[in-house]
Amino acid sequence: MRMAKYIAINAFLIFHILAITCWCLPIDSPLISLCKDRVRPYFLWSGLFQSWDMFSPIPKSANTYVEATVVYKNESRTTWTFPRMEQLSLTERCFKERYRKFAENLSRDEDDALLPDAARHIARLNSTPSHPARTIILVQEWSFIVPRADGSYVPEPWNQHVLYGYGVKPEDLQ
Amino acid sequence: MRLKSLWEAWNSFFFAPQSPTPIALFRIVYGMLVVATLLLLRPDWLTWYGAHGWVSLSTMHALEPGARLNLFAVIPQTDTWINALFWMFLGSAILLTIGFLTRLNSLLVFLCLTSIHQRNLYILHGGDTFLRVAGFFLIFAPAGAALSVDRLIRIWRGKEGANIEPRSPWAQRMIQFELAIMYFSAFCLKVKGAPWLQGTAMYYVYHLDEFKRFPIPSWFLHPVMLKLESWSALVLEFSLGILIWVKELRYTILTLGLLFHFCLEYSLNIPLFQWDVLSAYILFVDANDLKRATNWAGRLCRRGSKKSD
Repeated sequence: MRMAKYIAINAFLIFHILAITCWCLPIDSPLISLCKDRVRPYFLWSGLFQSWDMFSPIPKSANTYVEATVVYKNESRTTWTFPRMEQLSLTERCFKERYRKFAENLSRDEDDALLPDAARHIARLNSTPSHPARTIILVQEWSFIVPRADGSYVPEPWNQHVLYGYGVKPEDLQ
Repeated sequence: MRLKSLWEAWNSFFFAPQSPTPIALFRIVYGMLVVATLLLLRPDWLTWYGAHGWVSLSTMHALEPGARLNLFAVIPQTDTWINALFWMFLGSAILLTIGFLTRLNSLLVFLCLTSIHQRNLYILHGGDTFLRVAGFFLIFAPAGAALSVDRLIRIWRGKEGANIEPRSPWAQRMIQFELAIMYFSAFCLKVKGAPWLQGTAMYYVYHLDEFKRFPIPSWFLHPVMLKLESWSALVLEFSLGILIWVKELRYTILTLGLLFHFCLEYSLNIPLFQWDVLSAYILFVDANDLKRATNWAGRLCRRGSKKSD
């Protein structure tokens, strides 16, 4: 029994060390890719998936934020902005940091499918039964960070592009 | 090196019994960090995970298909159930911290943690990921063998004496491995990026408004300093991933890592990230050194209280 337990633990260790190494190391090799593909279902199921790519390989080179233009049924408009960390107090920043991460992900092309849900949520936040939102336009604002030879920083002008436009349905506001 | 000696080294590394005090101390810090994470999330439990949250469960399934360990997929999607899950999670994390029914609570904490991550993967930072993967291996560790209510109960029932029995540290080794591979992976990814090699990466990091916490001294932003800081980050991440396994270098590297994370904690607003990672440093401290440090701290406290008397 003790031997069986010892063998099982060793198998567990060897498997996990190899699998985690293959998963984490950014090496372009058919063998590593094969290993990743094989362990992917188990890693996704168990929560062992992981990536350590913060500020890498290239740190973000622009300040960004996301805001929404809310157009109401009566044609009036308002602007709703995701909490911007730089405008919050130290305490608020601790509680609201998740919004920064979420807004960052909203702007990524590969996470486009998040946009309708986000638009619906913003519609709910900004509607009352007598004053319902009709259209939500999500806009990303950005200002490039340009390094200078002397290390100084001069903020660049802000640019914007529309991420998504959504026509609010009555059931979205339920 | 002979195969036999390699196997002996493997056995000694993973199975030679050692004091469970470091893993128990890690359990306490880990539990406190999970509690802190939940409390910081408290105003937004339903905003992020509720039935009418930012991302619906169906969108999450569409974006991240496949079987997942996720309690949200099995409980009814009502605010009452979701709140109940969070309160259960919080209770379990507190019990894990004090070491009551440690194995069961480490399992429950991992299940709940991985569930909230799977429910919304778009609000997580590296610290959350580290807590999740470390939590997986904590389930298998003798985390309740010391500094726990479980141990007090065993002593009270006469099942254990005053001495703490050494235990096999294989699960602790896996958490150590996770920490090391996290740093090494971060190092490998950074050296693929030109700004890190050119030494301009930290310029961008410091000028991201959304991350700013406290003001950084202007000399820190001088181009020469920025180069040094960018390259130091690379050297440190490599050292914490590889050289940390060399016993003679370990405490020096851990101290440098501690300073590195304190600098990041000062300058960047990523709540709990640095502490989530630093928690696992405890596992690299020898149990005897830990005991010496505790005794020294105890003496210091006693001296302080005598002076105040």
